[in-house]
Amino acid sequence: MILSYAIWIPIVFGLIILIYGSERPSAGVRYLALFGAILGFIATLPLITNFDLANPGMQFVEKFSWIPRYDINYSLGVDGISVWFVVLTAFINIFVVIAAWEVITEKVSQYYAAFMILSGLMIGVFSALDGLLFYIFFEATLIPMYIIIGVWGGKNRIYAAFKFFLYTLLGSLLALIALLYLYNLSNTFDILAWHHTKLDIVEQVLLFIAFFMAFAVKVPMWPLHTWLPDVHVEAPTGGSVVLAAIMLKLGAYGFLRFSLPIAPDASQYLAPFIIFLSLVAVIYVGLVALVQQDMKKLVAYSSIAHMGFVTLGFFIFSPLGIEGGIIQMISHGFVSGAMFLAIGVLYDRMHTRQIADYGGVVHRMPKFSAFMVLMAMANCGLPATSGFVGEFMVILAAVDYDFMIGLLSATALILGAAYSLWMVKRVIFGAIANPQVDGLVDLNNREFMMFIVLSICVIGMGVYPKPFTDIIHPAVMQLLEHVAISKL
Amino acid sequence: MASSLTTAHLCAIPLAPLVGSAMAGLLGTRFLGNRIGQIATQSLTILGVAISLILSCWVLLEVNNGYYFDGSVYTWMKLGELSFDIGFLIDPLTAVMMVVVTFVSLMVHIYTIGYMKGEEGYNRFFAYISLFTFAMLMLVMSNNMLQLFFGWEAVGVVSYLLIGFYYDRPTAIFANMKAFLVNRVGDFGFILGIGLLLAATGSMNYADIFAQNTVMAAQTVPGTSWNLITVACICLFIGAMGKSAQFPLHVWLPDSMEGPTPISALIHAATMVTAGIFMVSRMSPLFELSDVALSFILVIGSITALFMGFLGIVQTDIKRVVAYSTLSQLGYMTVALGVSAYPIAIFHLMTHAFFKALLFLGAGSVIIGMHHEQDMRKMGGLWKHMPISCLMMLLGSLALIGTPFFSGFYSKDSIIEAVAASTIPGSGFAYFAVMLSVFVTALYSFRLYFYVFHGKERFGHDDHNHGHDEHHGLAPGQKPHESPWVVTLPLIALAIPSVIIGYYTIDPMLFGKFFGDAIFVDAVKHPAMATLASHFHGPVAMALHGFTTPVFLLLALGVLVAAICYLWVPLLPEKIAKVFAPLKKILDNKYYLDDLNQWIFAKGALLIGGGLWKQGDQRVIDGWVVNGSAHLVGKFSGVIRQLQSGYLYHYAFAMILGLVSLLAWILYTHIYIAY
Amino acid sequence: MDSFDLIAIAPELVLITISCLLLVSSAFVKEAKGGPEQDVFHAPRAASYVYSVACLLLIGLGAAFITRIADLPYLAMAGLFQSDAIANLLKAGSCFALLLSLIYSKQYLIDRGLFRPDFIVLTLFALLGQLVLISAANLLTLYLGLELMALSTYGLVAMRHSSGLSSEAAIKYFVLGALASGFLLYGMSMIYGVTGSLDLLEILRLLLDPRINHLVMAFGLVFIVAGLAFKFGVVPFHMWVPDVYQGAPTAVTLLIAGAPKLAAFALLFRLLINTLLPLISDWQPMLMILAVLSLVLGNVTAIAQTNLKRMLAYSAIAQMGFVLLGMLSVFDDHAYSASMFYAITYVITTLGTFGFLMVLSRKGYDCETLEGLKGLNRKHPWYAFIGLVMMFSLAGIPPTVGFAAKLSVLEALVDADFIVLAVIAVIASLIGAFYYLRVVKVMYFDEPVHEQSVNGTSFAKGILGINGLMILVLGIFPAGLMSLCLNAMRSTLIGS
Repeated sequence: MILSYAIWIPIVFGLIILIYGSERPSAGVRYLALFGAILGFIATLPLITNFDLANPGMQFVEKFSWIPRYDINYSLGVDGISVWFVVLTAFINIFVVIAAWEVITEKVSQYYAAFMILSGLMIGVFSALDGLLFYIFFEATLIPMYIIIGVWGGKNRIYAAFKFFLYTLLGSLLALIALLYLYNLSNTFDILAWHHTKLDIVEQVLLFIAFFMAFAVKVPMWPLHTWLPDVHVEAPTGGSVVLAAIMLKLGAYGFLRFSLPIAPDASQYLAPFIIFLSLVAVIYVGLVALVQQDMKKLVAYSSIAHMGFVTLGFFIFSPLGIEGGIIQMISHGFVSGAMFLAIGVLYDRMHTRQIADYGGVVHRMPKFSAFMVLMAMANCGLPATSGFVGEFMVILAAVDYDFMIGLLSATALILGAAYSLWMVKRVIFGAIANPQVDGLVDLNNREFMMFIVLSICVIGMGVYPKPFTDIIHPAVMQLLEHVAISKL
Repeated sequence: MASSLTTAHLCAIPLAPLVGSAMAGLLGTRFLGNRIGQIATQSLTILGVAISLILSCWVLLEVNNGYYFDGSVYTWMKLGELSFDIGFLIDPLTAVMMVVVTFVSLMVHIYTIGYMKGEEGYNRFFAYISLFTFAMLMLVMSNNMLQLFFGWEAVGVVSYLLIGFYYDRPTAIFANMKAFLVNRVGDFGFILGIGLLLAATGSMNYADIFAQNTVMAAQTVPGTSWNLITVACICLFIGAMGKSAQFPLHVWLPDSMEGPTPISALIHAATMVTAGIFMVSRMSPLFELSDVALSFILVIGSITALFMGFLGIVQTDIKRVVAYSTLSQLGYMTVALGVSAYPIAIFHLMTHAFFKALLFLGAGSVIIGMHHEQDMRKMGGLWKHMPISCLMMLLGSLALIGTPFFSGFYSKDSIIEAVAASTIPGSGFAYFAVMLSVFVTALYSFRLYFYVFHGKERFGHDDHNHGHDEHHGLAPGQKPHESPWVVTLPLIALAIPSVIIGYYTIDPMLFGKFFGDAIFVDAVKHPAMATLASHFHGPVAMALHGFTTPVFLLLALGVLVAAICYLWVPLLPEKIAKVFAPLKKILDNKYYLDDLNQWIFAKGALLIGGGLWKQGDQRVIDGWVVNGSAHLVGKFSGVIRQLQSGYLYHYAFAMILGLVSLLAWILYTHIYIAY
Repeated sequence: MDSFDLIAIAPELVLITISCLLLVSSAFVKEAKGGPEQDVFHAPRAASYVYSVACLLLIGLGAAFITRIADLPYLAMAGLFQSDAIANLLKAGSCFALLLSLIYSKQYLIDRGLFRPDFIVLTLFALLGQLVLISAANLLTLYLGLELMALSTYGLVAMRHSSGLSSEAAIKYFVLGALASGFLLYGMSMIYGVTGSLDLLEILRLLLDPRINHLVMAFGLVFIVAGLAFKFGVVPFHMWVPDVYQGAPTAVTLLIAGAPKLAAFALLFRLLINTLLPLISDWQPMLMILAVLSLVLGNVTAIAQTNLKRMLAYSAIAQMGFVLLGMLSVFDDHAYSASMFYAITYVITTLGTFGFLMVLSRKGYDCETLEGLKGLNRKHPWYAFIGLVMMFSLAGIPPTVGFAAKLSVLEALVDADFIVLAVIAVIASLIGAFYYLRVVKVMYFDEPVHEQSVNGTSFAKGILGINGLMILVLGIFPAGLMSLCLNAMRSTLIGS
């Protein structure tokens, strides 16, 4: 029942907050939310502590019949690939709650409720073993996110909210048809059963494309990425954090859970295409990130570039590549989360995200600057930070796969450093740019705690990633064996 | 052989400075609110480095007695068969590096007490240099590619932080970003090299990789016809070019002088920049198998040695002169690598570490004496004001230019001979280059020496065009003063090895069994070392013979020219400059390489990025496809809505129309299809 | 005509008797003294008397039909009237739909002086028409029910004679309705001409005979489909829908938008599945075209609307397209039940949506524009939330019931290998999502412009809340209703 707790504790708390907080003072709501978030996180810890390393298959499985008419089951379970994301989601949720503490002042209860429910739904996505259950969680996340962007967003929030919703819906609706198609073939919505459904190459390619639409939009992969920068810029800090840290992972996770095992031959067949898109994401988007004037946009584009690494790793079909991709996803959860929190900290004080409005922040905010530099370094893959591990693995795997691809992907080393450090140079270093910067106050304890914890995660994972890979490896090996078997 | 040296001891060597650094960095700065003061900070960090120096010396002794260690400390990551470890490889090569690094580092720590006195960020500085010591030790002690890369990047970051130490100086924060990015270009190649080796050998450990070197020599890069080991070696060497500032990736080093002088001595002269040299020597079992790579290295090295030397002649900033001399000397080391005289490269690395650190710290001492004036044109005649510094600088310069019996002589002369003895393609050019730069080295070294310490005193005139905004310089009438003992002591401590170390270590390091298996030389294909060994009859003989070689003439000539131009006929340089105006212009602009990078790469990337963003993302994808389709639907719906005219007869008409078309369709299917 | 027949048609008999009694008796109710000059148009007491009786009656009838859902099909009145599972299910649905409509609209009607005995009785007659139509086993009964329903509805639309818009809408509805009935009747006559029978089962039996003239049958079919299309309000027979939805008072719009959709489904089922199934090769493509047209045009046009009732009209057109999609399959109980499930859940959602609009309306103000909803979340988060649920359900986003419905229909399509249709359908609903989202947007993201007040009987509000939650609950646990529909459809199909 651990997974059910992980899913429903946040959601139930969200509903309680919604009802309780409707016309009560927001202080109580905040503590309630914090309590719920922490409780939810604690609920996920047994997944790691009791995880059976020997078992590459699904663990903590729950299964109840739900809609017998279509043989849809409420069936949950995690393997090495998904377990970390369940934990990560619950973990990040705590930061989202803390980040909004003094910042969100209107409709507080709705704000927290939306995030609590969202986090529960996303955990559901990662732990669903039933195709339709997955889809329902996957789709349902749109509703709270739409509200979050639209209600607490910035100037252009309406456009962003619609873009986010419709962009994502387009993809997922096609995926729905793919799911139904698979159901008709196999008379079940059980994902693991689908892994063994025989499919001819045409079916596989069509299914792959349908899933690709759904997941590539979420990842997002070039050229389906243009919603992300707009949404990031408009979303409130918490929204950006969740979006970058977790939501993008939903797509990448979908590739591993659906595309690769269900359409292995099509995946092999279309791998060059995906790899091409990933490299475009790494290089093209990296260059685009270089010229951004808005910090959030810059980090958003860097997220796209990093996710490019993830998809690149996946479609190399080597343990190093796929696990590198997964590690990159987890690490990106910490790093991008921290980056957006950092930008949020600045925004709360200055109410601008334009790089040009900053300069010499370090003079007034030394603590903050230390974290910012660390995260920037992690963002450009500095060894001993989590950002390095995945990037390193994927590049090595790429070189192994094809020297030229490795060469192209390795340009991320330069581009990543360029845009990250250039931003740091312009924002953090230099002489104090203007009176507003001069008036900045350094992190308060609440913010300091957030960053210290995230920094520990980032460095810890960079110095000792073994615990992560130990859990991931068996599942990935099983996946690869599976992908190697043709369905034709 | 058995030794009382345990893994714990080895771990302590890098960790001691790390602990010191963490203490200083966390407790000593505003990060946790200045919990400990300057005294505590400096003693903690110095203690840390001292510990690792002592242990390193112990390691060196043990190694000299044949101690050898190659083992993992902990497993960083494990994917089935493939295991990434953090581990140490302790052999003579490592030991030498460890001692050099920790010794220079300790000197710099002590020196810093005097140099950075009263600066804000004093504790931060100590944190950084201790952190650097840790990173550098991790680099040299590594027994695998992963840790090597970690150290490689980590020293880069610390150097980034230290170059940008005065973070409110625009020049400084530009220089540190530039340094990091240029290094990243190198790392770009480096990681590819690592990738190729991993792909070919399935391991990150040196031992496993070297064990398969002959196998790799036969392979080609998958999908190409290139020899695997050549490509891998060149990729690795590109990394070395970045770190060790070889042409054309040298551009960051001169700018790195923006950092405080102690780190210029520690990082940008003695240790970090030699990481590339160390790495190539460490990889000698691979490089030995690819003459192409070696020739490449040789040519790059020669270019650096010669052309960077030229630039040293026209500099007016005291630190930049030393910086360019560093570049040139790194060129020498690279040349030595190119002719597979790895021991000589390491030998020169060591001697250079001492005398170049000495020169930098001496320059620093002068700068303090001059109240942070770095422009040599504002100095002169300092010898009577700061005699110790003067003497030390003189010793350093003599060592640098390779005066017989000085350490520099042994290393540099060996390199030249090795080049002469080498048969590898490119060695002809290399020989010319190293010979000529002997002259150049002598010239700029003594130009500096005379300029600063002799001639008439040019300081103390108040002029309003200061070189650097932050610098103060002497007030009118104010005299420079000798630096405190914390500054001069390290100078002396460094001067001693600068003078004698060569004499005592050349025999074991170059021709003895000291390095043993640590360095692999294919004596058949690359006989340079062997030839040298056959000519070698002890240090004294070598030195005496040194007076008779053309090398000595060249350096004497260099000193002479320097004396003429900057001591006796001070107006000559201007005249010469006038005659060779265009040449001077090129040199002043450092061969226009900075402009090239600035305009082609930096601006180019921004231009492309901007274009892709505005045209690709915003115009095509968003403008046409995304919003375009939305607008299309909107327009469409606007049109359709007109059909809803509100007139009853329109509605009726629509229904009839629908009915008729359905009828027509039925008719069609039944009549024309059926029959 | 034996006692079983009586039992079979008992509910309808009760309904008609009580309706007539109400109509008469209401005239004798004593109004409060000193009130305004009393006449049939201003009889609050009489009205509330009729209203309460009607509500009780509807509850009773609904319950009665529910108890009969499990019954075996039974042919009554010499084959004029059949009582089978889907008939009882749909009838129960219609009764409760009307019940909810009355509950929601009470305050609204009072505020607009429409809360009158005759109004309520008329709704009962409309219901009677529906029930008869749903149970029709013969073209005559079918037409009878249809017309009874239609005529009462025309009357209801015209009821607010003060408003020109309503009268205009009523006229359009009436004329076009007459035209459609004409089509239907003409089609029936053709079929009668070929088969010589009005009995649905008989016709079905004769159709299997190869000697009948297929061309004439097909022509009859075309007219019948046209008539059906009008009742469904699918393109191009949809023109009346927007004007009537907008023109009629919201209460009446609800009466048109709610229960009649169930009747329309029954009509379709009786005629095309129960009777003209052998002609599927002819009507399947027709429905396909109509469905696609309505899906695309309905959704696209809805985008341009700023009047909510008009927007909902176009949304209705599109949603009915979905219902048609389910009926394309060849004698597939899953597909048909999916369609029925869609129709029922759609009605539940529609009831909620219009109830929501009426609760936000007040005397002298009809809440029917996007403007009116701006910033609703500020003052009335609960109602904003209900609106949100309704909209996401109409858009078919999980975990609302709208998703379950779309899912089942799409599944039917994929099952029948109409993948392309399925893709078109989802693209259309993607376009549709835009305007549903826009409603949520104005409620949540915008600042209020009008001052909003929530009124209506507290009972109505409570029911509305339940209705909203029901959409969520059914969305999360759709299994029950699904299997109900499936079993009903099964037993019916087996019966015929």
